[in-house]
Amino acid sequence: MTLLQVEHVTKRYRGGVLANDDICLDVAAGEVFGLLGPNGAGKTTLVSQVLGLLLPDEGTIRIGDVDAIADPAAARRMCSFQPQAAAPVDGLSAREAIELIGAIRGGRKATVRTRASELLDALDLADVADRAVPMSGGMARLTGFCMAAVVPGRVVVLDEPTNDVDPLRRRALWQEIRKVADDGAAVLLVTHNVLEAERCVDRLAIIGGGRVLAQGPPASLKAQLGAPLRLDCALDDPTNVPRLPAAITLSSVTGRRLLAHVQHHDVAAAVAWAQSAQDEGTIVEFSLTAASLEDVYARWVEAEASAA
Amino acid sequence: MNSVRSYVLLLRWQYLRYRPLLPLLAGIQVALGVGVIFGFSFLVPHLTSTVVLYFATGAPTLSLILMGLTALPQEVAQNRSTGKFTYVAALPVPRLAPMFADVTFWMLIQLPGAVVTLLLANLRFGLHLNISGLVVPAVILVALTASAVGYAIAVALPPNATSQVSSFVSIALLLFSPINFPLDRLPVWLQDVHRALPVTYMSDIMRGGLTGRYDVSRWLAFAVVAAWCALGLTVSGRAARHRG
Ligand SMILES: Nc1ncnc2c1ncn2[C@@H]1O[C@H](COP(=O)(O)OP(=O)(O)OP(=O)(O)O)[C@@H](O)[C@H]1O
Ligand SMILES: [Mg+2]
Repeated sequence: MTLLQVEHVTKRYRGGVLANDDICLDVAAGEVFGLLGPNGAGKTTLVSQVLGLLLPDEGTIRIGDVDAIADPAAARRMCSFQPQAAAPVDGLSAREAIELIGAIRGGRKATVRTRASELLDALDLADVADRAVPMSGGMARLTGFCMAAVVPGRVVVLDEPTNDVDPLRRRALWQEIRKVADDGAAVLLVTHNVLEAERCVDRLAIIGGGRVLAQGPPASLKAQLGAPLRLDCALDDPTNVPRLPAAITLSSVTGRRLLAHVQHHDVAAAVAWAQSAQDEGTIVEFSLTAASLEDVYARWVEAEASAA
Repeated sequence: MNSVRSYVLLLRWQYLRYRPLLPLLAGIQVALGVGVIFGFSFLVPHLTSTVVLYFATGAPTLSLILMGLTALPQEVAQNRSTGKFTYVAALPVPRLAPMFADVTFWMLIQLPGAVVTLLLANLRFGLHLNISGLVVPAVILVALTASAVGYAIAVALPPNATSQVSSFVSIALLLFSPINFPLDRLPVWLQDVHRALPVTYMSDIMRGGLTGRYDVSRWLAFAVVAAWCALGLTVSGRAARHRG
Protein backbone atom coordinates (compact mmCIF):
# COMPACT_ATOMS: atom_id res chain seq x y z
CA MET A 1 0.00 0.00 0.00
CA THR A 2 1.46 3.37 -1.03
CA LEU A 3 1.59 5.72 1.95
CA LEU A 4 3.61 8.56 0.48
CA GLN A 5 3.14 9.69 -3.06
CA VAL A 6 5.08 12.62 -4.49
CA GLU A 7 4.14 13.65 -8.01
CA HIS A 8 5.81 16.26 -10.20
CA VAL A 9 6.93 18.35 -7.24
CA THR A 10 8.74 21.49 -8.30
CA LYS A 11 10.06 24.10 -5.93
CA ARG A 12 11.93 27.30 -6.75
CA TYR A 13 13.11 29.36 -3.79
CA ARG A 14 12.70 33.09 -3.76
CA GLY A 15 16.04 34.20 -5.12
CA GLY A 16 15.83 31.77 -7.99
CA VAL A 17 17.32 28.42 -6.92
CA LEU A 18 15.39 25.59 -8.56
CA ALA A 19 15.73 23.13 -5.67
CA ASN A 20 13.23 20.50 -6.83
CA ASP A 21 12.46 19.92 -10.48
CA ASP A 22 9.56 17.60 -11.31
CA ILE A 23 10.25 15.02 -8.60
CA CYS A 24 8.12 11.87 -8.59
CA LEU A 25 8.47 9.05 -6.08
CA ASP A 26 6.36 6.90 -3.82
CA VAL A 27 6.97 4.92 -0.67
CA ALA A 28 4.87 1.99 0.48
CA ALA A 29 4.08 0.74 3.97
CA GLY A 30 6.90 -1.43 5.24
CA GLU A 31 9.41 0.09 2.86
CA VAL A 32 12.61 2.03 3.51
CA PHE A 33 13.11 4.44 0.65
CA GLY A 34 16.53 6.09 0.38
CA LEU A 35 17.03 9.60 -0.92
CA LEU A 36 20.64 9.98 -2.05
CA GLY A 37 22.35 12.89 -3.70
CA PRO A 38 25.15 15.41 -3.34
CA ASN A 39 25.04 18.48 -1.09
CA GLY A 40 22.51 20.96 -2.34
CA ALA A 41 20.69 18.40 -4.49
CA GLY A 42 17.33 19.33 -2.95
CA LYS A 43 16.72 16.45 -0.53
CA THR A 44 15.88 18.55 2.52
CA THR A 45 13.75 20.81 0.36
CA LEU A 46 11.71 17.78 -0.69
CA VAL A 47 11.15 16.45 2.82
CA SER A 48 10.23 19.95 4.06
CA GLN A 49 7.40 19.96 1.54
CA VAL A 50 6.22 16.54 2.64
CA LEU A 51 6.02 17.88 6.21
CA GLY A 52 4.06 20.96 5.16
CA LEU A 53 6.87 23.35 6.09
CA LEU A 54 7.31 24.54 2.51
CA LEU A 55 4.79 25.01 -0.26
CA PRO A 56 5.63 23.43 -3.64
CA ASP A 57 5.21 25.57 -6.73
CA GLU A 58 3.80 22.63 -8.63
CA GLY A 59 2.93 19.01 -8.06
CA THR A 60 1.01 16.98 -5.52
CA ILE A 61 1.93 15.18 -2.30
CA ARG A 62 -0.39 12.58 -0.82
CA ILE A 63 0.10 10.87 2.53
CA GLY A 64 -2.32 8.00 2.86
CA ASP A 65 -5.64 9.52 1.79
CA VAL A 66 -4.60 13.03 2.70
CA ASP A 67 -3.65 15.80 0.30
CA ALA A 68 -0.60 17.03 2.23
CA ILE A 69 -0.49 20.37 0.42
CA ALA A 70 -4.12 21.27 1.08
CA ASP A 71 -4.12 19.90 4.63
CA PRO A 72 -0.64 20.25 6.15
CA ALA A 73 -1.99 19.74 9.68
CA ALA A 74 -3.24 16.27 8.77
CA ALA A 75 0.08 15.57 7.03
CA ARG A 76 1.96 16.44 10.21
CA ARG A 77 -0.21 14.13 12.28
CA MET A 78 0.73 11.30 9.94
CA CYS A 79 4.46 12.03 9.69
CA SER A 80 7.17 11.85 12.29
CA PHE A 81 10.42 13.59 11.56
CA GLN A 82 14.11 13.68 12.38
CA PRO A 83 15.60 16.92 11.06
CA GLN A 84 19.03 17.30 9.48
CA ALA A 85 19.85 19.89 12.16
CA ALA A 86 20.38 18.46 15.64
CA ALA A 87 17.12 17.85 17.47
CA PRO A 88 16.37 20.55 20.05
CA VAL A 89 17.32 18.70 23.21
CA ASP A 90 19.18 21.40 25.17
CA GLY A 91 18.36 21.31 28.85
CA LEU A 92 16.57 17.96 28.58
CA SER A 93 17.79 14.45 29.20
CA ALA A 94 17.46 12.07 26.26
CA ARG A 95 14.64 10.22 27.96
CA GLU A 96 12.74 13.41 28.76
CA ALA A 97 13.05 14.61 25.19
CA ILE A 98 11.88 11.30 23.74
CA GLU A 99 8.95 10.93 26.11
CA LEU A 100 7.92 14.53 25.56
CA ILE A 101 7.72 14.11 21.79
CA GLY A 102 5.94 10.76 22.26
CA ALA A 103 3.30 12.54 24.33
CA ILE A 104 3.00 15.43 21.86
CA ARG A 105 2.51 12.89 19.08
CA GLY A 106 -0.42 11.52 21.05
CA GLY A 107 1.15 8.38 22.52
CA ARG A 108 -0.21 6.86 25.73
CA LYS A 109 2.02 7.38 28.71
CA ALA A 110 2.83 3.73 29.45
CA THR A 111 3.40 2.87 25.79
CA VAL A 112 5.66 5.86 25.30
CA ARG A 113 7.66 5.02 28.39
CA THR A 114 8.23 1.42 27.33
CA ARG A 115 9.08 2.32 23.75
CA ALA A 116 11.52 5.04 24.88
CA SER A 117 13.39 2.55 27.06
CA GLU A 118 13.43 0.03 24.23
CA LEU A 119 14.96 2.53 21.82
CA LEU A 120 17.49 3.80 24.37
CA ASP A 121 18.58 0.24 25.08
CA ALA A 122 18.80 -0.69 21.42
CA LEU A 123 21.03 2.30 20.67
CA ASP A 124 23.12 1.79 23.80
CA LEU A 125 22.11 5.09 25.35
CA ALA A 126 20.52 3.75 28.50
CA ASP A 127 23.49 4.77 30.68
CA VAL A 128 23.39 8.41 29.67
CA ALA A 129 19.67 8.73 29.03
CA ASP A 130 18.84 10.40 32.32
CA ARG A 131 21.57 13.03 32.46
CA ALA A 132 20.33 16.50 31.58
CA VAL A 133 23.79 17.69 30.52
CA PRO A 134 24.74 18.85 27.04
CA MET A 135 24.81 15.76 24.81
CA SER A 136 27.61 14.84 22.45
CA GLY A 137 26.86 15.38 18.76
CA GLY A 138 26.22 11.72 18.05
CA MET A 139 24.04 11.25 21.10
CA ALA A 140 21.94 14.26 20.19
CA ARG A 141 21.54 12.78 16.70
CA LEU A 142 20.50 9.39 18.08
CA THR A 143 18.09 11.06 20.49
CA GLY A 144 16.64 12.85 17.48
CA PHE A 145 16.05 9.49 15.85
CA CYS A 146 14.35 8.14 18.97
CA MET A 147 12.11 11.21 19.04
CA ALA A 148 10.98 10.35 15.51
CA ALA A 149 10.58 6.66 16.28
CA VAL A 150 8.95 6.70 19.71
CA VAL A 151 5.47 7.22 18.27
CA PRO A 152 6.22 6.78 14.58
CA GLY A 153 3.93 8.33 12.01
CA ARG A 154 2.61 6.27 9.12
CA VAL A 155 5.36 8.07 7.23
CA VAL A 156 8.69 8.47 9.04
CA VAL A 157 11.01 11.08 7.55
CA LEU A 158 14.67 10.83 8.58
CA ASP A 159 17.04 13.52 7.27
CA GLU A 160 20.59 12.12 7.62
CA PRO A 161 20.08 10.06 10.79
CA THR A 162 23.49 8.34 10.71
CA ASN A 163 25.65 11.50 10.65
CA ASP A 164 27.95 11.86 13.69
CA VAL A 165 27.12 8.34 14.91
CA ASP A 166 29.88 5.85 15.78
CA PRO A 167 30.13 2.59 13.74
CA LEU A 168 28.63 0.22 16.30
CA ARG A 169 25.73 2.44 17.17
CA ARG A 170 25.25 3.09 13.46
CA ARG A 171 24.77 -0.63 12.96
CA ALA A 172 22.13 -0.67 15.71
CA LEU A 173 20.54 2.43 14.21
CA TRP A 174 20.14 0.79 10.78
CA GLN A 175 18.44 -2.12 12.51
CA GLU A 176 16.02 0.19 14.29
CA ILE A 177 15.25 1.99 11.05
CA ARG A 178 14.49 -1.35 9.46
CA LYS A 179 12.24 -2.25 12.40
CA VAL A 180 10.24 0.96 12.08
CA ALA A 181 9.46 -0.05 8.49
CA ASP A 182 8.78 -3.66 9.42
CA ASP A 183 6.20 -2.38 11.90
CA GLY A 184 4.33 -0.85 8.96
CA ALA A 185 5.64 2.68 8.46
CA ALA A 186 6.83 4.09 5.17
CA VAL A 187 10.35 5.38 5.86
CA LEU A 188 11.79 8.18 3.74
CA LEU A 189 15.50 8.28 4.53
CA VAL A 190 17.97 10.93 3.40
CA THR A 191 21.56 9.78 3.68
CA HIS A 192 25.07 10.24 2.33
CA ASN A 193 26.09 6.89 3.72
CA VAL A 194 25.71 5.06 0.42
CA LEU A 195 27.43 1.81 1.33
CA GLU A 196 25.47 1.25 4.53
CA ALA A 197 22.23 2.42 2.97
CA GLU A 198 22.62 -0.23 0.29
CA ARG A 199 22.01 -2.93 2.89
CA CYS A 200 19.00 -1.23 4.50
CA VAL A 201 16.92 0.44 1.79
CA ASP A 202 14.38 -1.38 -0.34
CA ARG A 203 14.39 1.24 -3.03
CA LEU A 204 16.10 4.55 -3.53
CA ALA A 205 16.24 7.62 -5.68
CA ILE A 206 19.43 9.40 -6.64
CA ILE A 207 18.78 13.13 -6.80
CA GLY A 208 21.00 15.69 -8.47
CA GLY A 209 20.33 19.29 -9.37
CA GLY A 210 16.80 18.94 -8.00
CA ARG A 211 15.87 16.09 -10.35
CA VAL A 212 15.50 12.34 -9.88
CA LEU A 213 18.43 10.89 -11.85
CA ALA A 214 17.71 7.22 -11.19
CA GLN A 215 15.26 5.28 -9.10
CA GLY A 216 14.73 1.65 -8.15
CA PRO A 217 15.94 -1.18 -5.90
CA PRO A 218 19.73 -1.21 -5.34
CA ALA A 219 20.08 -4.49 -7.24
CA SER A 220 18.39 -3.27 -10.40
CA LEU A 221 20.28 0.02 -10.36
CA LYS A 222 23.50 -1.95 -10.13
CA ALA A 223 22.36 -4.21 -12.97
CA GLN A 224 21.71 -1.11 -15.10
CA LEU A 225 25.31 -0.16 -14.53
CA GLY A 226 26.18 -3.00 -16.90
CA ALA A 227 29.37 -3.85 -15.07
CA PRO A 228 28.92 -6.20 -12.15
CA LEU A 229 32.54 -6.07 -10.95
CA ARG A 230 34.85 -3.27 -10.00
CA LEU A 231 38.62 -3.33 -10.34
CA ASP A 232 40.27 -0.96 -7.91
CA CYS A 233 44.02 -0.33 -8.43
CA ALA A 234 46.56 1.76 -6.52
CA LEU A 235 49.01 3.24 -9.03
CA ASP A 236 52.69 3.50 -8.28
CA ASP A 237 53.03 6.75 -10.20
CA PRO A 238 49.86 8.78 -10.89
CA THR A 239 51.40 10.22 -14.07
CA ASN A 240 52.07 6.76 -15.46
CA VAL A 241 48.62 5.25 -16.11
CA PRO A 242 49.00 1.77 -17.65
CA ARG A 243 47.17 0.83 -20.85
CA LEU A 244 44.17 -1.38 -20.10
CA PRO A 245 43.26 -4.47 -22.14
CA ALA A 246 39.84 -4.67 -23.85
CA ALA A 247 38.45 -6.79 -20.99
CA ILE A 248 38.69 -3.83 -18.60
CA THR A 249 36.74 -0.57 -19.02
CA LEU A 250 38.33 2.47 -17.39
CA SER A 251 35.94 4.35 -15.14
CA SER A 252 38.09 6.97 -13.43
CA VAL A 253 41.58 7.89 -12.29
CA THR A 254 41.81 10.10 -9.22
CA GLY A 255 45.33 10.62 -7.92
CA ARG A 256 46.80 7.18 -7.39
CA ARG A 257 43.44 5.44 -7.55
CA LEU A 258 42.31 3.80 -10.78
CA LEU A 259 38.75 2.45 -10.98
CA ALA A 260 37.55 0.20 -13.80
CA HIS A 261 34.59 -2.05 -14.65
CA VAL A 262 34.85 -5.72 -15.48
CA GLN A 263 32.28 -8.23 -16.79
CA HIS A 264 31.97 -11.65 -15.14
CA HIS A 265 33.38 -13.53 -18.14
CA ASP A 266 36.43 -11.25 -18.20
CA VAL A 267 37.45 -11.91 -14.61
CA ALA A 268 40.35 -14.20 -15.49
CA ALA A 269 41.79 -11.79 -18.07
CA ALA A 270 41.40 -8.83 -15.74
CA VAL A 271 43.11 -10.54 -12.81
CA ALA A 272 45.93 -11.79 -15.08
CA TRP A 273 46.52 -8.27 -16.38
CA ALA A 274 46.45 -6.73 -12.90
CA GLN A 275 48.80 -9.38 -11.57
CA SER A 276 51.34 -8.71 -14.29
CA ALA A 277 51.04 -4.95 -13.84
CA GLN A 278 51.70 -5.44 -10.17
CA ASP A 279 54.73 -7.62 -10.96
CA GLU A 280 56.03 -4.90 -13.27
CA GLY A 281 55.47 -2.35 -10.52
CA THR A 282 53.07 0.03 -12.35
CA ILE A 283 50.37 -0.77 -9.80
CA VAL A 284 51.06 -1.32 -6.12
CA GLU A 285 47.97 -3.35 -5.25
CA PHE A 286 44.55 -4.15 -6.65
CA SER A 287 41.22 -5.64 -5.67
CA LEU A 288 38.31 -6.98 -7.66
CA THR A 289 34.94 -6.67 -5.93
CA ALA A 290 31.26 -6.66 -6.76
CA ALA A 291 30.13 -3.22 -7.93
CA SER A 292 28.40 -1.37 -5.10
CA LEU A 293 25.72 1.25 -4.88
CA GLU A 294 28.55 3.76 -4.60
CA ASP A 295 29.52 2.99 -8.20
CA VAL A 296 25.94 3.58 -9.29
CA TYR A 297 25.84 6.79 -7.29
CA ALA A 298 29.15 8.04 -8.71
CA ARG A 299 28.12 7.31 -12.25
CA TRP A 300 24.82 9.22 -12.05
CA VAL A 301 26.08 12.13 -10.02
CA GLU A 302 29.20 12.59 -12.14
CA ALA A 303 27.13 12.42 -15.32
CA GLU A 304 24.76 15.04 -13.94
CA ALA A 305 27.64 17.27 -12.88
CA SER A 306 29.33 17.14 -16.28
CA ALA A 307 26.02 17.81 -18.05
CA ALA A 308 25.35 20.88 -15.89
CA MET B 1 -8.79 18.94 23.92
CA ASN B 2 -5.82 18.00 21.80
CA SER B 3 -4.94 21.68 21.60
CA VAL B 4 -4.92 21.97 25.37
CA ARG B 5 -2.78 18.85 25.65
CA SER B 6 -0.30 20.24 23.11
CA TYR B 7 -0.18 23.53 24.97
CA VAL B 8 0.48 21.89 28.32
CA LEU B 9 3.21 19.68 26.86
CA LEU B 10 4.92 22.59 25.11
CA LEU B 11 4.78 24.53 28.37
CA ARG B 12 6.39 21.57 30.09
CA TRP B 13 9.10 21.56 27.40
CA GLN B 14 9.80 25.23 28.12
CA TYR B 15 9.97 24.48 31.83
CA LEU B 16 12.38 21.56 31.33
CA ARG B 17 14.56 23.65 29.07
CA TYR B 18 14.92 26.51 31.56
CA ARG B 19 14.79 24.35 34.68
CA PRO B 20 18.39 25.06 35.79
CA LEU B 21 17.93 28.79 35.20
CA LEU B 22 14.64 29.23 37.06
CA PRO B 23 16.14 30.59 40.31
CA LEU B 24 18.29 33.02 38.33
CA LEU B 25 15.42 34.20 36.12
CA ALA B 26 13.02 34.68 39.02
CA GLY B 27 15.78 36.30 41.08
CA ILE B 28 16.40 38.86 38.35
CA GLN B 29 12.70 39.68 38.25
CA VAL B 30 12.58 40.14 42.02
CA ALA B 31 15.69 42.34 41.97
CA LEU B 32 14.13 44.46 39.22
CA GLY B 33 10.92 44.66 41.23
CA VAL B 34 12.83 45.97 44.25
CA GLY B 35 14.97 48.23 42.08
CA VAL B 36 11.95 49.86 40.49
CA ILE B 37 10.58 50.99 43.84
CA PHE B 38 13.82 52.18 45.40
CA GLY B 39 15.39 53.58 42.26
CA PHE B 40 12.22 55.45 41.77
CA SER B 41 12.39 57.35 45.02
CA PHE B 42 15.76 58.77 43.90
CA LEU B 43 14.36 59.72 40.52
CA VAL B 44 11.33 61.59 41.70
CA PRO B 45 11.95 63.46 44.91
CA HIS B 46 8.39 64.62 45.60
CA LEU B 47 6.23 61.59 45.67
CA THR B 48 2.55 62.25 45.41
CA SER B 49 0.09 59.41 45.66
CA THR B 50 -0.65 59.74 41.92
CA VAL B 51 3.01 59.31 41.06
CA VAL B 52 3.27 56.23 43.25
CA LEU B 53 0.08 54.81 41.79
CA TYR B 54 1.24 55.16 38.21
CA PHE B 55 4.74 54.06 38.84
CA ALA B 56 4.05 50.97 40.92
CA THR B 57 1.29 49.65 38.66
CA GLY B 58 3.11 50.76 35.53
CA ALA B 59 6.17 48.67 36.32
CA PRO B 60 4.54 45.24 35.92
CA THR B 61 2.64 46.46 32.88
CA LEU B 62 5.84 47.67 31.28
CA SER B 63 7.66 44.44 31.97
CA LEU B 64 4.83 42.34 30.51
CA ILE B 65 4.86 44.46 27.35
CA LEU B 66 8.65 44.28 27.07
CA MET B 67 8.53 40.53 27.57
CA GLY B 68 6.17 40.20 24.63
CA LEU B 69 7.89 42.71 22.39
CA THR B 70 11.54 41.85 23.01
CA ALA B 71 12.25 38.73 25.11
CA LEU B 72 9.77 36.49 23.29
CA PRO B 73 10.77 37.45 19.73
CA GLN B 74 14.41 37.03 20.68
CA GLU B 75 13.73 33.51 21.82
CA VAL B 76 11.81 32.79 18.61
CA ALA B 77 14.71 34.18 16.54
CA GLN B 78 17.11 31.98 18.47
CA ASN B 79 14.87 28.97 17.92
CA ARG B 80 14.80 29.71 14.21
CA SER B 81 18.61 29.79 14.11
CA THR B 82 19.07 26.56 16.05
CA GLY B 83 16.35 24.63 14.20
CA LYS B 84 14.03 24.24 17.19
CA PHE B 85 11.45 26.43 15.49
CA THR B 86 11.31 24.18 12.42
CA TYR B 87 11.27 21.11 14.62
CA VAL B 88 8.25 22.32 16.55
CA ALA B 89 6.58 23.48 13.33
CA ALA B 90 6.78 19.90 12.05
CA LEU B 91 4.97 18.57 15.14
CA PRO B 92 1.21 17.99 15.10
CA VAL B 93 0.38 20.95 17.33
CA PRO B 94 -1.85 23.98 16.63
CA ARG B 95 0.22 26.69 14.93
CA LEU B 96 0.01 29.18 17.80
CA ALA B 97 0.34 26.64 20.63
CA PRO B 98 4.12 27.21 20.94
CA MET B 99 3.52 30.95 21.26
CA PHE B 100 0.87 30.47 23.94
CA ALA B 101 3.19 28.16 25.85
CA ASP B 102 6.08 30.64 25.68
CA VAL B 103 3.89 33.55 26.78
CA THR B 104 2.58 31.56 29.72
CA PHE B 105 6.06 30.57 30.79
CA TRP B 106 7.50 34.07 30.71
CA MET B 107 4.40 35.50 32.35
CA LEU B 108 4.82 33.11 35.27
CA ILE B 109 8.50 34.02 35.55
CA GLN B 110 7.50 37.66 35.97
CA LEU B 111 4.97 37.00 38.68
CA PRO B 112 7.30 37.12 41.73
CA GLY B 113 8.84 40.40 40.56
CA ALA B 114 5.44 42.02 40.13
CA VAL B 115 4.30 40.88 43.57
CA VAL B 116 7.43 42.30 45.18
CA THR B 117 7.02 45.66 43.45
CA LEU B 118 3.42 46.03 44.54
CA LEU B 119 4.07 44.89 48.10
CA LEU B 120 6.98 47.27 48.53
CA ALA B 121 5.01 50.15 47.03
CA ASN B 122 2.29 49.36 49.50
CA LEU B 123 4.61 49.13 52.51
CA ARG B 124 7.01 51.92 51.69
CA PHE B 125 4.81 54.46 49.92
CA GLY B 126 1.35 53.50 51.08
CA LEU B 127 0.05 52.47 47.67
CA HIS B 128 -3.54 51.49 48.18
CA LEU B 129 -4.14 48.05 46.63
CA ASN B 130 -7.61 46.82 45.87
CA ILE B 131 -7.06 43.73 43.79
CA SER B 132 -10.01 42.39 41.84
CA GLY B 133 -10.43 39.25 39.76
CA LEU B 134 -10.21 41.41 36.65
CA VAL B 135 -6.45 41.55 37.12
CA VAL B 136 -6.20 38.03 35.74
CA PRO B 137 -7.73 38.75 32.32
CA ALA B 138 -5.85 42.05 32.34
CA VAL B 139 -2.45 40.39 32.77
CA ILE B 140 -3.26 37.76 30.15
CA LEU B 141 -4.54 40.29 27.62
CA VAL B 142 -1.56 42.60 28.06
CA ALA B 143 0.99 39.78 27.78
CA LEU B 144 -0.77 38.14 24.86
CA THR B 145 -1.26 41.33 22.85
CA ALA B 146 2.38 42.35 23.14
CA SER B 147 3.53 38.80 22.47
CA ALA B 148 1.36 38.39 19.39
CA VAL B 149 3.01 41.46 17.88
CA GLY B 150 6.48 40.32 18.92
CA TYR B 151 5.87 36.84 17.58
CA ALA B 152 4.67 38.10 14.21
CA ILE B 153 7.83 40.22 13.91
CA ALA B 154 10.06 37.29 14.81
CA VAL B 155 8.41 34.88 12.39
CA ALA B 156 8.18 37.25 9.45
CA LEU B 157 11.68 38.78 9.59
CA PRO B 158 15.06 37.09 9.24
CA PRO B 159 16.32 36.01 12.68
CA ASN B 160 19.25 38.42 12.66
CA ALA B 161 16.94 41.41 12.13
CA THR B 162 14.48 40.47 14.86
CA SER B 163 16.31 41.95 17.80
CA GLN B 164 16.84 45.33 16.07
CA VAL B 165 13.27 45.62 14.87
CA SER B 166 11.65 44.46 18.09
CA SER B 167 13.77 46.90 20.10
CA PHE B 168 12.81 49.69 17.74
CA VAL B 169 9.11 48.89 18.01
CA SER B 170 9.22 48.72 21.78
CA ILE B 171 11.12 51.97 22.09
CA ALA B 172 8.86 53.77 19.65
CA LEU B 173 5.81 52.42 21.39
CA LEU B 174 6.90 52.85 24.98
CA LEU B 175 9.12 55.93 25.11
CA PHE B 176 6.24 58.39 25.16
CA SER B 177 3.65 56.03 26.50
CA PRO B 178 1.48 56.93 29.41
CA ILE B 179 2.26 53.85 31.43
CA ASN B 180 4.15 55.38 34.32
CA PHE B 181 2.28 58.69 34.18
CA PRO B 182 -1.24 59.86 33.30
CA LEU B 183 -2.21 60.43 29.69
CA ASP B 184 -2.91 64.14 30.19
CA ARG B 185 0.80 64.86 30.73
CA LEU B 186 1.30 64.41 27.01
CA PRO B 187 0.70 67.03 24.30
CA VAL B 188 -2.80 66.84 22.87
CA TRP B 189 -1.85 65.30 19.53
CA LEU B 190 0.11 62.52 21.24
CA GLN B 191 -2.85 61.91 23.52
CA ASP B 192 -4.94 61.34 20.43
CA VAL B 193 -2.40 58.91 19.04
CA HIS B 194 -2.48 56.97 22.27
CA ARG B 195 -6.27 56.85 22.32
CA ALA B 196 -5.97 54.66 19.25
CA LEU B 197 -3.00 52.58 20.41
CA PRO B 198 -3.45 49.89 23.06
CA VAL B 199 -0.74 50.95 25.51
CA THR B 200 -2.78 53.43 27.56
CA TYR B 201 -5.61 50.96 27.88
CA MET B 202 -3.22 48.21 28.83
CA SER B 203 -1.88 50.20 31.75
CA ASP B 204 -5.43 51.20 32.63
CA ILE B 205 -6.76 47.65 32.95
CA MET B 206 -3.69 46.65 34.94
CA ARG B 207 -4.00 49.62 37.27
CA GLY B 208 -7.73 49.11 37.56
CA GLY B 209 -7.38 45.42 38.34
CA LEU B 210 -4.80 46.16 41.04
CA THR B 211 -6.24 49.28 42.66
CA GLY B 212 -9.78 49.64 41.38
CA ARG B 213 -8.94 53.01 39.78
CA TYR B 214 -9.60 53.22 36.04
CA ASP B 215 -8.94 56.35 33.95
CA VAL B 216 -11.58 55.47 31.39
CA SER B 217 -14.52 53.09 31.51
CA ARG B 218 -13.14 49.66 32.33
CA TRP B 219 -15.26 48.10 29.60
CA LEU B 220 -13.94 50.48 27.00
CA ALA B 221 -10.37 49.75 28.15
CA PHE B 222 -10.87 45.98 28.07
CA ALA B 223 -12.64 46.18 24.71
CA VAL B 224 -9.81 48.15 23.10
CA VAL B 225 -7.10 45.84 24.41
CA ALA B 226 -9.11 42.75 23.44
CA ALA B 227 -9.57 44.14 19.94
CA TRP B 228 -5.84 44.74 19.57
CA CYS B 229 -5.18 41.29 20.97
CA ALA B 230 -7.50 39.70 18.40
CA LEU B 231 -5.78 41.67 15.65
CA GLY B 232 -2.33 40.65 16.90
CA LEU B 233 -3.31 36.99 17.12
CA THR B 234 -4.76 37.07 13.62
CA VAL B 235 -1.53 38.48 12.24
CA SER B 236 0.74 36.11 14.14
CA GLY B 237 -1.52 33.15 13.30
CA ARG B 238 -1.14 34.06 9.67
CA ALA B 239 2.62 34.36 10.02
CA ALA B 240 2.75 30.97 11.74
CA ARG B 241 0.69 29.27 9.04
CA HIS B 242 2.71 30.77 6.20
CA ARG B 243 4.66 28.20 4.19
CA GLY B 244 7.62 29.64 2.26
N1 LIG C 1 15.52 28.83 2.37
C1 LIG C 1 16.20 28.79 1.22
N2 LIG C 1 16.22 29.85 0.39
C2 LIG C 1 16.89 29.81 -0.77
N3 LIG C 1 17.57 28.75 -1.21
C3 LIG C 1 17.62 27.67 -0.43
C4 LIG C 1 16.93 27.62 0.82
N4 LIG C 1 17.14 26.41 1.38
C5 LIG C 1 17.90 25.72 0.52
N5 LIG C 1 18.19 26.47 -0.57
C6 LIG C 1 18.97 26.04 -1.74
O1 LIG C 1 18.29 24.95 -2.36
C7 LIG C 1 19.20 23.96 -2.78
C8 LIG C 1 18.83 22.62 -2.17
O2 LIG C 1 19.03 22.68 -0.78
P1 LIG C 1 18.70 21.45 0.18
O3 LIG C 1 18.88 21.91 1.56
O4 LIG C 1 17.37 20.89 -0.19
O5 LIG C 1 19.86 20.44 -0.24
P2 LIG C 1 20.19 18.98 0.33
O6 LIG C 1 20.04 18.03 -0.79
O7 LIG C 1 19.39 18.71 1.56
O8 LIG C 1 21.73 19.14 0.69
P3 LIG C 1 22.61 18.53 1.91
O9 LIG C 1 22.98 17.15 1.52
O10 LIG C 1 23.82 19.41 1.94
O11 LIG C 1 21.78 18.61 3.14
C9 LIG C 1 20.59 24.47 -2.41
O12 LIG C 1 21.13 25.08 -3.55
C10 LIG C 1 20.33 25.50 -1.35
O13 LIG C 1 21.29 26.51 -1.37
MG1 LIG D 1 19.83 18.42 3.50
